[in-house]
Amino acid sequence: MLALIYFIILAVIALGAATCVLLSRHPLYGALSLVVSMVSLAGIYGLLGSPFLGVVQVMVYAGAIMMLVTFVIMVLNGARDSRTPMFDKVSLFIIPAVLVLAALVGVALVRAPLGFDAATIRGSVAVTSETLFNVAQGGPGYFILFEVLGLLLLSAMVAAVLMAKKRLGSVDSENVEEKH
Amino acid sequence: MDIIESKTWVEWLITIAKFAFCFVPVLYILLLIPMERRGAGFMQDRQGPNRSYIKIPYFGKIRLFGYVQNMCDGTKLFFKEMFAPAGVNKVLYYVAPAIPFAIVFLSPCVIPWFGPMVFEWGGKMVRIPGSIIDSDVGVLLLFGFSSLSAFGAVLAGWASKSKYSFLGALRTSSMTISYEVCLGLSMMGILLLAGSFNLTDIVTWQEHHVWGIVAQPVAFFCFLIASIAETGRAPFDVAEGEPELVAGYHTEYGAMQFGLFYMGEYSHICINSFLIATLFLGGYAVPFVTTETMQAHMGGSLAVLCGILAFLALAFLHMVHRYSKKLAATAQTHRFEVLREYKLYNIIAWAAVAVFVILGVCAWFFYNPSNMVVNGVAVGSLATALGTALIHLLVLVVKSVMFCWVWIWVRWTLPRFRYDHVMNLGWKIILNIALINLVVTAVIAKLVGGN
Repeated sequence: MLALIYFIILAVIALGAATCVLLSRHPLYGALSLVVSMVSLAGIYGLLGSPFLGVVQVMVYAGAIMMLVTFVIMVLNGARDSRTPMFDKVSLFIIPAVLVLAALVGVALVRAPLGFDAATIRGSVAVTSETLFNVAQGGPGYFILFEVLGLLLLSAMVAAVLMAKKRLGSVDSENVEEKH
Repeated sequence: MDIIESKTWVEWLITIAKFAFCFVPVLYILLLIPMERRGAGFMQDRQGPNRSYIKIPYFGKIRLFGYVQNMCDGTKLFFKEMFAPAGVNKVLYYVAPAIPFAIVFLSPCVIPWFGPMVFEWGGKMVRIPGSIIDSDVGVLLLFGFSSLSAFGAVLAGWASKSKYSFLGALRTSSMTISYEVCLGLSMMGILLLAGSFNLTDIVTWQEHHVWGIVAQPVAFFCFLIASIAETGRAPFDVAEGEPELVAGYHTEYGAMQFGLFYMGEYSHICINSFLIATLFLGGYAVPFVTTETMQAHMGGSLAVLCGILAFLALAFLHMVHRYSKKLAATAQTHRFEVLREYKLYNIIAWAAVAVFVILGVCAWFFYNPSNMVVNGVAVGSLATALGTALIHLLVLVVKSVMFCWVWIWVRWTLPRFRYDHVMNLGWKIILNIALINLVVTAVIAKLVGGN
């Protein structure tokens, strides 16, 4: 019962903040609402009995990634974007897609046997690591997948650095710098 | 109610009383600011704050070695007018200073302040963990909180609508991102050895094997540097460097809003000191003595504790004696006032020495509680558990104060880095050393045959 009350409070905050991300004019407000939404999502993870996921959510998403997003918004001076119209022709396709996705996820969640009970551990550190990496017990595990993902992220980072370097060294970028 | 009846009243009392530890970082501010001032004076060979005093009727002036200066500063900050410059973003401007200060109260929840209290009550064995939240994700929670607290500085800089504040905010956010990575990676080695994220488990591992600083010396130095950088103190205070950015992200703040930033910074130092002490210096563990030995000879342990406190009081007496000898030789006009004040401290310290000696002797001879043995584990009474907790807490405080001094020492020794040097140090040196350290630790741990 208590868990349900907590869940309702957190869910309202998360959804409200997520709506604010869409509706806010200034990108920085959007980023801040996203932080609030992510922190309350972390609370919901905790309610579901996976404190590890919740804490990683706070640490990685709310902390590091959103800090990076704020940094980028501030560096690029995103305030200029605030006059972009909220809806245009593309929205015609996006809104139905979002609605369909929400319906799908909702149906999947309603049918899933989830109870809001923080006492049953579903995603503690030990359980998470065992499902991911214990090859001996539960089949192949996700070991290779995990490594491949790591490689993928690394290659993406290297590519980004290369592209940035190329643009920095070229003549075009220097002209752009002067115009500013 | 089931939840209330699940514990006895003593357990509830201790569990609730543990929430008082949330205020430890704020109390440390009272210790850290005079320590910073006296430390600066000591390092630069000049006198610290020594002009402010309280006048006590029928006695004279009391200076408390410059501690009164803090009260003056606090009073000044509290009673100044809070203002917002024209053109600032009002909401964010007022909210921003509160973010780091609010998180200060959350962070101490996961630090184990004493070993798990195990005692016998009402015929049952009771176990109370030393941290407020005894979670198996302890350290990660702490890191999550500390990465959130940087939002305060970033929002303050943005809301101020001033170029200097804005640049300070940008620097803060980029430094937080880079040094969080180093902090997390350099900590991983000790986590790997202990096999747990839970800080109590890490301290227990250190108690039974070796301290983290011996097992992971490289990681210790990486962690120390990264955490100094994370608090944004000199030599890493590029975010508020006076010669470049006036005062960085809090340029536009005054009065208690500035005070909140200031207090947030000092509390952050306190929390990081506690974290380093817990991860690398054995936390609450008493050096060379296990908790079991201590509990088996509780009276003796308390006597040793009283002896150490009496020794500290004697050291204080020696300090006062030297000060007064030096002062009496000068021709300063106010020397008789100060000497009278020192006489008061003499009386108090001698009384403290007497009390500690008497308490110690009493504990040695008259306090010998017998421990029950339940399932092969010695279980003491509530008094033994409380005594152990007290000793553990004092040991942890001593270790953390030592690291607080390191912060001040570094600040007044090293000049400020240039911004690009800070970034190079973070990404090109410390990150790589931490990574190599982690790999080497993992290989050795596997070869030796750990978990």
